Amino acid sequence: MTTTLPDRPLKSAPARSQSQFGVAWSQFRKNRLAKIGGFMLILLYTLALFAPFIAPDGLSNYSTSNITRFHPPTPISIRDPQTGGLTRPFVYQYGQKLNMDTFVNEYKPTTTRCPIYFGVRGDEYRVLGLFPGTLHLFGTGTENPNCKVYLFGGEALGRDLFTRTIYASQISLTIGVGAVLISTVIGLLMGAMAAFFGGVADTLIMRLVEVLAAIPSLFLLILLRSVFPQDINPIFALYMILGLLAFIGWGGLARVVRGQMLSVREQDFVSAAQALGAGNGRIMWRHMLPTMTTYIIVTLSLSIPGYILLESGLSFLGIGAVEPYVSWGGLLSQAQEGGFASITQRPWVLIPGFFIVFTVMCYQLLGDGLRDAFDPRKRQ
Amino acid sequence: MIPFLLRRLVQSIPTLLLASLLIFFVIQLAPGDFLTPAKLNPNISSEQLAALERNFGLDRPAWQQYLFWMGNMFQGNFGLSFQYQQPVLDIIWPRILNSLYLALMSLILFYSIAIPLGVYGAVRQNSPGDNAVNIVLYFLLGFPSFFLALIVIYFILQLRNATGLDIPIGGMTSNNFEELSPFGQLLDILKHLIIPALVLAISDAAGLTRVIRGQMLEVMRSDYVRTARAKGVSEHTAIWKHTFRNAILPIVAGIGSLLPALISGVGFLEVVFAYPGITPMLLTAIGTQDLYLIAGFTVITTVLLIIGNVISDILLAVVDPRVKVS
Repeated sequence: MTTTLPDRPLKSAPARSQSQFGVAWSQFRKNRLAKIGGFMLILLYTLALFAPFIAPDGLSNYSTSNITRFHPPTPISIRDPQTGGLTRPFVYQYGQKLNMDTFVNEYKPTTTRCPIYFGVRGDEYRVLGLFPGTLHLFGTGTENPNCKVYLFGGEALGRDLFTRTIYASQISLTIGVGAVLISTVIGLLMGAMAAFFGGVADTLIMRLVEVLAAIPSLFLLILLRSVFPQDINPIFALYMILGLLAFIGWGGLARVVRGQMLSVREQDFVSAAQALGAGNGRIMWRHMLPTMTTYIIVTLSLSIPGYILLESGLSFLGIGAVEPYVSWGGLLSQAQEGGFASITQRPWVLIPGFFIVFTVMCYQLLGDGLRDAFDPRKRQ
Repeated sequence: MIPFLLRRLVQSIPTLLLASLLIFFVIQLAPGDFLTPAKLNPNISSEQLAALERNFGLDRPAWQQYLFWMGNMFQGNFGLSFQYQQPVLDIIWPRILNSLYLALMSLILFYSIAIPLGVYGAVRQNSPGDNAVNIVLYFLLGFPSFFLALIVIYFILQLRNATGLDIPIGGMTSNNFEELSPFGQLLDILKHLIIPALVLAISDAAGLTRVIRGQMLEVMRSDYVRTARAKGVSEHTAIWKHTFRNAILPIVAGIGSLLPALISGVGFLEVVFAYPGITPMLLTAIGTQDLYLIAGFTVITTVLLIIGNVISDILLAVVDPRVKVS
């Protein structure tokens, strides 16, 4: 059998040829669920970025004279109760009274109306730590300090739960993702080193991976947390939790990278590069690691939800972010305050949990979409 | 089979040693040493301190301290808990057993939820039932177990207020536990276990159900299942004997790696349900810097997990005869 060469050289083809990423991108765009997930995530991150503007209150504002512990959510009315016509949105100011039968502090709306203004001046803040501002999306202004909007109710210290939730998104959305990125870098380095140097380095690294997998991760995290003092700097605590999460998670990836590197090392294109006189570093970075790109993109996007859940879990247990900073998991721990029965009196403290669920779902849709987009068997 | 198990046991020794080394190293990193919190405690006499210092060789270099610590542990001496003023092992052992009960219960429920759902999804692929199960499970993947538990508690409390049913949701035993008969005590503990175990099993089941479904689908397309069908075996035999037994092999092999996640997962529910398990005690131990207690817990759970790995190897050998040969 003879094979004939094509009449024309393939040079005319490149106009239509697609790179691997081009194919993946066009596949991804066909996946509507994944696109929705990605869009919602962009929305969430925008929300987090402009948190100080969207939140009506400061991160940790509470009154020491008018204690509004677990203030119920204030419904916003847009109709005037007397005339029934449309009016500026307002909430009622709530008053507190101790119920002498049950000894529970009860909140009741008074007749005082608190009008809601848009674009109101309030607490000072800095977006990204750079751009100062005092403008807030909505608020009740400064006329009556006891007038406050509680969209999601109040929390244990009487701070506005909506404000806290919006601020918490900054931490919940970044710590998990940051930890995944760092642990991916560590995993790549460790796996590549184990495969490349072999011998003692290989044994040591792979043993360390085994040990990290053998100790239950929650206990390892608690153990590592106990190294740091209880009253650490709140900013340092964020870096600490980032580091701890990254430290416990790199093992699986290192193992895969090592296996892949070992099999790639024997392939022709690596021998060719060696024959051409390429150095070790060049072979590693330009020839061997790029074979992992797809795998890493997919694992990375699929492991983010797990890290977000773990971070929320740690904050829930009180070994995550420290006051005044808080993450969604930390906000949920208020549901535990005062025993089981009290949760029925303040179901609104569960709201931050739905933000966790929503974020994780979005990341899952995005991750599944990316996985399918890069999988040649699932091409449409 | 015995040599296979022995080999696995011997292989796990270095892992265990290295894990203990890592734990020791982390504790060395902590500010001060084992005795710093104890020295601040006026309840501990100076004689006790001196005895501890001698027993654990705290005046010696670090590597000797490690050997002392290991040596003491082999004799069952995990040190003294400063918070409780008792030997560590006496305090933590009941807690570990409690956590194990919960983990075991949750594991049983986990498999009895995931396996039928996964097999159903594969056998009736793309049926309305399969799609509904998939959507619900996908949704559940996003719920942190503790959040799911809080929601469950909220609804149970509402139910309790509405109907007056006595559904236990906290702790491990009822108030009148001491007065119950042995059988009643067992029933009482089971009643307290079932809700946290179920919550954990449901929040974890999503992943395994998907894996079983995928595995079943893959095996169902293989030649030997077609051959079996062609020979005329019943549908039941084709699914459960020919497909299922082969489909679960990777899952049985993975039980060992699932155990650490299970033990961690149990921890969150222990905190939510105020269950007297390992994690609530560990969390208070962080606050009081009770380092011997933390180290003891971590070492013992690691040992238990390695034993669990060996058990999962035995299971694999039972399910897959090829393992015994190699």
